[in-house]
Amino acid sequence: MSNGSFYIDAIALLLPLSAAMVVTQANPYYSLITRGILGAVAALIYTLLGAADVALTEALVGTLLAIALYAVAVRSSLVMRLGVLQDEVPKNAATSTPDHAGEGTGNRTDDEAIAHPFNQLLTELRTLFNQYHLRVELVPYDNPQLLHQALLQKDIHATCVHASIAAAPYQLTTRVRRLYEILQAGLSPDLIQLNHVTVSDAAASHYQPSDIGSVLVGEEKS
Amino acid sequence: MTENITSFVGYAFIALGIFLWFWGTSFLPRKRSLLFKLHTLSVSDILGSIAIIIGLLVKLPSEWPLLILAIFSLAIWNTILGYVLAYCSSAGVDHE
Amino acid sequence: MHSNIIIIPMMVALLIPFYEAYRDDNVWQKLLAFSSIACKTALITLVASVLRDDWMIGVVGVLILSVGNAGLMLLAHIVKRVNEA
Repeated sequence: MSNGSFYIDAIALLLPLSAAMVVTQANPYYSLITRGILGAVAALIYTLLGAADVALTEALVGTLLAIALYAVAVRSSLVMRLGVLQDEVPKNAATSTPDHAGEGTGNRTDDEAIAHPFNQLLTELRTLFNQYHLRVELVPYDNPQLLHQALLQKDIHATCVHASIAAAPYQLTTRVRRLYEILQAGLSPDLIQLNHVTVSDAAASHYQPSDIGSVLVGEEKS
Repeated sequence: MTENITSFVGYAFIALGIFLWFWGTSFLPRKRSLLFKLHTLSVSDILGSIAIIIGLLVKLPSEWPLLILAIFSLAIWNTILGYVLAYCSSAGVDHE
Repeated sequence: MHSNIIIIPMMVALLIPFYEAYRDDNVWQKLLAFSSIACKTALITLVASVLRDDWMIGVVGVLILSVGNAGLMLLAHIVKRVNEA
């Protein structure tokens, strides 16, 4: 045992190294993978020092369970839900359900579909939000009332509809101040017209169906 | 005399395994395609690790249940993992 | 003495995917490096246990070897879903 301490010391140096890699990683998915590396190295050191039970716990809970839970949490929280109208979206745009997107819908390189202004806008949005590690998820709605209601009830973060009179072809309304700032800094104003609405918690919870009429009027005016 | 021979065979297998590890892993930092790296890495990790375990098995046969279990676990799980990684990564590339 | 001869080259081999995980910026390359590290650390555990004639550590090594792979497959599927959406 005494002659084994040399390489244990050397391996122990890997632990702070991988921990520093986890901390300095900006992308959440990269840091998850690096966390797995940290767990593997930690389990190795614990076993070499003779603590088999600690190593098993580190591998099962610290690495397997923590990574699985954090991966699901990161995937479901780092997302911008963009509400759109069903008939304004081209058929092959990726919708909210990934199962449909997986079955070759994205593979078809339809020239008409690529040239569609909505898809161009979507590409712009995705490249912009990729810098912030956000996914853009489309949530289709049947009519403007439902769309606006979803925004007020905080089901979605922003809505994107056709602007009939404005200079830009699309109008994007968001209720999150930070999203508005990011969009304003990253997108050109002739591509999209940006709005910011303040949705209070009270408005979200005490929303009455009778308000739909006024909402509808406001929507048609734009 | 036979002890010496078995010891030598054991060390030979372990050396072969470690050589495979180095060979396969040396492709990892190079600029090659992902599937090429996956291929060399699975060769080195599965075959190299199995060679190391066989070397240990020849040298110290008293721990055979553990080592046989490790060989099966490597041969089955790592092969499936290689397939899953290749499937997932190529599906991601197709959608770009 | 004998254990040093075997384990020190294994450790040096472990450093290569470590460097790769630090340097590369593709998520699949990082995952590949992680899978390599997980396999190598489990095998170092196994070799150390056999050389020390310690059954408890050996069982833990085999468990880490098989469980680490399962966790990697889970992570790969989640990363794939993220890339699709």
